[in-house]
Amino acid sequence: MTHPRAPKIGRLSAGSLLSALAALIWLPQAALLALSVQALADGGGFGAVVVLAGFVLGLGVLRAGAEAAGARLSYLRARQLLGEARGEALHCLATGSPLDPRRHPAGLAASVLAEQAETLLPYLSRFEPVRLRVALVPPLILAAVFSQSWVAALILLAAAPLIPVFMALVGWRAKAASEAQMVEMGGMNAFLLDRLRGLATIRGLGAIEATAERLAASARGLRQRTMAVLRIAFLSSAVLELFSALGVAMVAVYVGFHLLGQLGFGAWGGRLDLAQGLFVLMLAPAFFEPLRDLSAVWHDRAAGVAAADSLARLAAPGLEVPGALDRAGAASGPVPGVEIEHLHFSHEGAAKPVFTDFSLNIRPGEHVALTAPSGAGKSTLLSLIAGLAPVGAGCIAIGGTALTGASAASLRARIAWIGQRPHFFAGTVRGNIALGRPEIGLMDVLDAVALARLQGVAGPGAARDLGEGGGGLSGGEQLRLAIARAAATPDLGLVIADEPTAHLDRATAAEVTAGLLALAEGRTLILATHDPVLIAAMDRQIDLTGARS
Amino acid sequence: MSALRLLPAILRLLAEGHRGRLALGALLAAATVLAGIALLGLSGWFITATALAGLVPATALVFDVFAPAAAIRLLALVRTAARYGERLVTHDATLRTLETLRVRLFRAYALPGAARGLLARPGRMLFRLTSDIDALESFYLRLGVPAIAAVGAALVAGAALSFIDGWLGLGFGPFLVFAGLGVPLLAALVGRRAARRRALGLEALRVRTIDLVDGQTDLLLAGRMPAQLGAAKRADAYLAAADDRLNRAECGAGFLLGIAGCLGLVGVLLACALLVEQGAIGTPVAAFALLLALAAMEPFAALRRGAVEIGRSLLAVDRLAPTLLSPLVPSVVPLPLDQRLAVEIRGATCRHDGAAAPVLTALDLAIAKGERVALIGPSGAGKSSLMQAIAGELPQSAGHVATLPSALLTQRSELFRDTVAGNLRLAHAGASEAELWAALDAAGLGADIRALPHGLATRLGDGGLGLSGGQGRRLALARLLLRPVPLWLLDEPTEALDGAVAADVLARVAAAASDRTLVIATHLRREAALADRLIAVGGGGIQREARKGTPGYDDMLAGLRAG
Repeated sequence: MTHPRAPKIGRLSAGSLLSALAALIWLPQAALLALSVQALADGGGFGAVVVLAGFVLGLGVLRAGAEAAGARLSYLRARQLLGEARGEALHCLATGSPLDPRRHPAGLAASVLAEQAETLLPYLSRFEPVRLRVALVPPLILAAVFSQSWVAALILLAAAPLIPVFMALVGWRAKAASEAQMVEMGGMNAFLLDRLRGLATIRGLGAIEATAERLAASARGLRQRTMAVLRIAFLSSAVLELFSALGVAMVAVYVGFHLLGQLGFGAWGGRLDLAQGLFVLMLAPAFFEPLRDLSAVWHDRAAGVAAADSLARLAAPGLEVPGALDRAGAASGPVPGVEIEHLHFSHEGAAKPVFTDFSLNIRPGEHVALTAPSGAGKSTLLSLIAGLAPVGAGCIAIGGTALTGASAASLRARIAWIGQRPHFFAGTVRGNIALGRPEIGLMDVLDAVALARLQGVAGPGAARDLGEGGGGLSGGEQLRLAIARAAATPDLGLVIADEPTAHLDRATAAEVTAGLLALAEGRTLILATHDPVLIAAMDRQIDLTGARS
Repeated sequence: MSALRLLPAILRLLAEGHRGRLALGALLAAATVLAGIALLGLSGWFITATALAGLVPATALVFDVFAPAAAIRLLALVRTAARYGERLVTHDATLRTLETLRVRLFRAYALPGAARGLLARPGRMLFRLTSDIDALESFYLRLGVPAIAAVGAALVAGAALSFIDGWLGLGFGPFLVFAGLGVPLLAALVGRRAARRRALGLEALRVRTIDLVDGQTDLLLAGRMPAQLGAAKRADAYLAAADDRLNRAECGAGFLLGIAGCLGLVGVLLACALLVEQGAIGTPVAAFALLLALAAMEPFAALRRGAVEIGRSLLAVDRLAPTLLSPLVPSVVPLPLDQRLAVEIRGATCRHDGAAAPVLTALDLAIAKGERVALIGPSGAGKSSLMQAIAGELPQSAGHVATLPSALLTQRSELFRDTVAGNLRLAHAGASEAELWAALDAAGLGADIRALPHGLATRLGDGGLGLSGGQGRRLALARLLLRPVPLWLLDEPTEALDGAVAADVLARVAAAASDRTLVIATHLRREAALADRLIAVGGGGIQREARKGTPGYDDMLAGLRAG
């Protein structure tokens, strides 16, 4: 598994180094404490200990400070990386063309960018310092113990390497279990969202009880899966704890027997004194501490690497919308026509191009219907005219200006798009018509509402609050709201509509058609449709089946 | 502050039914911590005692090494086992608790009239049911269990030290508890608002990303993409500011706990030095005390994270408590007193949540058994509200509503991610396959479903994806047919259908309804024509009504939209 953020992680080392340093301060602290006890054993009283105690305290403050500063530095760097990764992904989502087949659906993109990306923070801020600590602290402690007693060092050394082996074995199984858990979780969420959307229907059918029971069963399944993952994770840390506890206990027992004189070997021919024995004992838990930390952040790592991968996929370069983030220049002038010359376009990875050497001329103010079977490229052509993807070769000119990366934003300012399924933002009807465009005032919005005959739906002052994704509106109302949104565009010259009456019943389709014609009066209109009524209302029908190349 | 006031009630709810498991988890956590402390303390004593004994060969021979050495190994094993058990039990108990709460919250949301504001926002409702419920876990897993374990350990350590010297124990135990609980409490106070903001910022980032992706074309053509991108990045900056504050609180708490631990250690060391000087204790006991003090502060560090994130959990309490704490009493619509009636409404006044004016005012309506009635009127006249009142969805603030058991066919065919059979069995859980086929045939969908390779077992996508509009409506109709109730409420049953399909569906409804009572809310002539009586709804009441065969009936019918 590759993740492109890996090289940047190296820069976290300042914080990591501080945290490793903090862990190492325990070495002199333990030595001072051991010496204090030795002093007491030697008959020294309060006076013999007070200076040592002062040093222990001073080192303790230093250690706490280094630890906090290290954690802080690691966090700051990690948060910066997270912000950059999010910014890049957002930028790519904003500028990626809707014609790009690899484009992520909104729900997935949002969950990667919001919740999943959050797991980068613990990964980057905790895992890296721990990794450095594991590399640095146990060897140094081992060296300190070794300098006192090679037997104690050998005991620690024997216990330590088993830990990574067990963890790897366990982690291997944990991955499979964890994937199963994610599937179960996704399943429960999808089930819940689906049922919540139709809660009124479920209640109307008296099926609340049955649904609650299915939810309970689904939640139970999720718990069992989660526990399966946790059992493995906990087992791995239990193994670790067992080895570390046994390691400490063995060191304690060895040192005890050694001090009694029953195990005289191991201290380089001499005999450990009390201070040395205590020192070795107090270092033993610290030897295992970084390894225990590592097992605690192991899960952070798995989640963080997965999130880095997902974010990198969001930010992968693809087909771009020309001039997506440019500010539009002043837009006015006569109603534009559209000239297409020698257009060439093919979808990435597709065997056959959609257009080869395609030309078309639409006069200013003309109303044109593009017809062809599904998949013939109607929507693609509309998207290209609206500047939603770069043309491969050839030229599209709108009102005599060629559509390029530099001119796209200004040209788009005079174009409105009415799709099959317009998107609605949480908020009022007014907000959904104005879309935050500062030049559109309340009167413009009310005019647009009147044109789309939405007065009954919009509420006084167009202030009706729409639910999630326009949930409170019928299909016809949603399209008329999209027409109102287009109508509010100042200096609108070209209206593009992609199968506006598909999926509508006849009466609603007639309303939408009327609204569309009112909007397009005195403007250029290009639409893709199968609807004979709508085709009949246009000036010209262009069948793309034969005209593509 | 309301979250803090509601907290005890929520905690009681959390514990309900799982007390044994939850208590066992906390007990095991305390055992783990105690075993750890005892392990280190005993080892210190053992080494010091052996060192002193080893100095004198005579005592070295009689020193009982085996009991303490065995105890040390035993403690090591106990500690590991207790830790493993603790983690399994606490996590299992937490998951069980959340599972119960989730189902309870779903039931509460499903009550008529509940969560009306959320019904239009199922995505937000899902968040309440998932991440808000999950946020409640920290009260037990990250605060309750570590606090119990740490305080228990501090008290035991204090008690052990008080055997050595009364004042030492009396000083050390309370010091640990005050510092160990005080610092996390401080962190909680500092981080509380930031944790709340963090949750809100994350939700804003999520919503703005969805808008950016789904609304891309509209935003690009309106020239608003830079603004939307800026808004999404601002949400992350807001999130970063909250994260930063939380991190400062967490690091600060870590620093203070580190210093407190060191102070405790040095305090015990100096006190022991005094006691040794006075001859009150020996060196081994001093070593025991020292290592005990060393280990006793550590459990409090586990509280830090939970404390910093408490704002998030309190936000969840704020959001969930009103729904979770309200009694789960389904409203039962009484049966009409008059045996001849299917619907009996007297002086009913109803209002929607938060609306200033009632939507129905002192309305009277009687519908006889077997009668077919159409409610007509323009959008917003109150047709749907009256339907909801009849269905028991909209509680009345005054008056009386009584109906026979009813089934409501909502405006949109709401089908679910499930098999065809699963969708049908929502209406009648025990229906046999033969009954399902009969219903499908009656709705005119039997042939279509038989033509599918998996038949009844065909899985539908979200919202019934995979069926055409007409097929979806027919499936909803088949589902209605399976519902064994005497009163059908149909809200614009053929609104989105083409003329021919609509006519067929309506004819099938009329045939299948047989002697059932039918109430149809509509603004289409083709639907209203099914009725024996037309009722024009408007201005919060009934404006006009006419029976079939009277001139008024034809007038009213002619006023409706053709189709």
